[in-house]
Amino acid sequence: MDKLRAKGRSWNWSPKFRKWGARERANFWIGMVFLLPWTIGFLVFTLYPMAASLVYSFSIYHPKAPLEWAGLQNYAGLLNDKLFWKSLYNTLYMVVIGVPVTLLVSFFCAVLLNLKVRGQSIYRVIYFLPSIVPTVASVILWLWILNPNAGILNTLLGYVGIQGPNWMSNPAWSKPGLILLGMWGMGGTIVIYLSGLQDVPTSLLEAAELDGANWWQRLWTVTVPMVSPITLFNLITGVIAQFQYFAQAYVFRGTQNLGYPLNSTLFYSVYLYQNAFLWLKMGYASAMAWVLFIIILICTILLLKVSERFTYYAG
Amino acid sequence: MTDNFIPSKSTPREAGDAKRRRDRVRKLRGFFRSLSSHALISFVGLFFLIPFLWMVLTAFKSTQDVFHTPPRWLPYDNVLVDVDGEKLPLYNVQTNDGVRQLAAAAIVEGVGTFVDPANPAVQMEYKIQRGEVKIAEPIMRVHFNWKNFPDAMERGSRPGVGASFWVYFKNSLVIAFISIVGTLLSNTPVAYAFARIKFPGRDLLFIVILATMMLPYQVTMIPLYLFFNDFLGWGNSFLPLVVPTFFANAYDVFLLRQFFRTIPEEMCDAARVDGASEWQIFTRLIIPLSVPVLATVTVFTFLWAWNDFTGPLLFLTSPKNFTMALGLQDFQGQRTMVWNQLMAASVVFTVPIIIAFFFAQKTFIQGIKLTGSKE
Repeated sequence: MDKLRAKGRSWNWSPKFRKWGARERANFWIGMVFLLPWTIGFLVFTLYPMAASLVYSFSIYHPKAPLEWAGLQNYAGLLNDKLFWKSLYNTLYMVVIGVPVTLLVSFFCAVLLNLKVRGQSIYRVIYFLPSIVPTVASVILWLWILNPNAGILNTLLGYVGIQGPNWMSNPAWSKPGLILLGMWGMGGTIVIYLSGLQDVPTSLLEAAELDGANWWQRLWTVTVPMVSPITLFNLITGVIAQFQYFAQAYVFRGTQNLGYPLNSTLFYSVYLYQNAFLWLKMGYASAMAWVLFIIILICTILLLKVSERFTYYAG
Repeated sequence: MTDNFIPSKSTPREAGDAKRRRDRVRKLRGFFRSLSSHALISFVGLFFLIPFLWMVLTAFKSTQDVFHTPPRWLPYDNVLVDVDGEKLPLYNVQTNDGVRQLAAAAIVEGVGTFVDPANPAVQMEYKIQRGEVKIAEPIMRVHFNWKNFPDAMERGSRPGVGASFWVYFKNSLVIAFISIVGTLLSNTPVAYAFARIKFPGRDLLFIVILATMMLPYQVTMIPLYLFFNDFLGWGNSFLPLVVPTFFANAYDVFLLRQFFRTIPEEMCDAARVDGASEWQIFTRLIIPLSVPVLATVTVFTFLWAWNDFTGPLLFLTSPKNFTMALGLQDFQGQRTMVWNQLMAASVVFTVPIIIAFFFAQKTFIQGIKLTGSKE
């Protein structure tokens, strides 16, 4: 750059720009025109908010008052905020228990839907349909299902002699209740697993069968490794989604009772929303958002690194 | 097949018998295996089916039937009889002459006044709760209460504000429709540029676009809220929800680019040799060949817009602007839970997506495989 300036040339995008031929230069501008919607969108809806959010996170900011620089105060405040740690714990509960359980069950469901039986397409529709029920409707439905007295779940549990818990007002059972709700709508994950199962070469399964492997052995030694890239994909998307868990928890308790009972459903994003839009602590909430981003980033990279040893890619 | 290579000492006849027996055993085993498969798949399927059924059946229940313990599957309602032009519920009443079917004229504070439908002039009074249990029992019948649907849709989430669920339904449709238009218009040229125009810096920009997928919306949420709400003054309007769809997003760009790349490059080159401009190639060649993927984008944008809760929650404040998702949540937040109407509204909220699903099953499944999820 300095060299270019020293020679009196104006600096132009990148030093390489001058080396482009006429064709490349024309293509560049045509490409830019086609990219215009995204470029504007990226600057206005991604880059600017990121920068602003970063600035807010180092400030005390109430929308009706001028911005006040606060350095690391927000981040330091998080460390001493009991509710912050509680919300992080609740969210980690959903990530560490909810995601693996959901993945395991959806893999099992996909194996069932991959069996060669008649009427399989009807079963597939039944398993899939709940996943397209809108989130808010499904939460309200599950509030009704989990109703301790008139709800259908505790009634069904009663048939087999189990006294169902008071799902919604018992802090120990509110999160498992939400995990059940999530599992009801896991049709998308099942579909992804199912397409992976259909790609497992039958020749491999037949070879294993000839070698005397039983059904369970074939599943464990052939199918599970063959779909491991899909498991990784579902795991990462599931973890990212659970870290941002919001709408379900919000609808579950409503604005007045966020976190009820005993803050057991106060998830990270719910607490962030509460700080930003109910208490108008925009700076503090922005700091929470950046911490969340960094946590998600670290988890994703860790999962990718660790999974290298456990994932099998054909070819 | 392998059997042929095993030397057999049995006579042909014995071998035939053995084969028949083996076939029978194999058939029987196959039958039981498929039976147990069906049983297992159906049993697990109940987990997906029962809540769904429960939603639909609750939507048809009467208000007092909803809280009947233990819960009943089918909706029940009082049997009504016509007495002097008035519809009164019929009860089994224990009288001095035995059990009789009488219509309840009034049941107040443990005192019931009953009339004989055949002879309305005769009224009888009973103290229901004075140690005399089960003196009067309402006669019920299975009855699907269709009126719950118009009742639910005609009321709003908050009584007396004048906005009904029909308004929310219309708002959701409008937002979804504009979002589809915006998404299709903005994402296709961007994806085309990434797929087929060779220009320096393209791959770097594509990495940037993929990186934005990693960014949680919580990071941009607060500044965007302040930007739309306070700076542009777009609060309580659809604009903050639909305008961003006109500026492309990483998921759809990625999805469309992957598809555009499957269209043979030679076709584009041939068109270029014939003097077609990039815009002509894009509109006359690529777009007509991409109808399947455009359908996928359309369906998924509809699903996303219809389902979105956080956006409307942030920006829509007055009930006349609520979407179905927001209205339903608001309805649920009211103190009294009208479960039958809540379920009826939920069913109405879900039906458009179910219809879309049955029309475009392949598109749904394709989209899920390509994008990884519904959101």
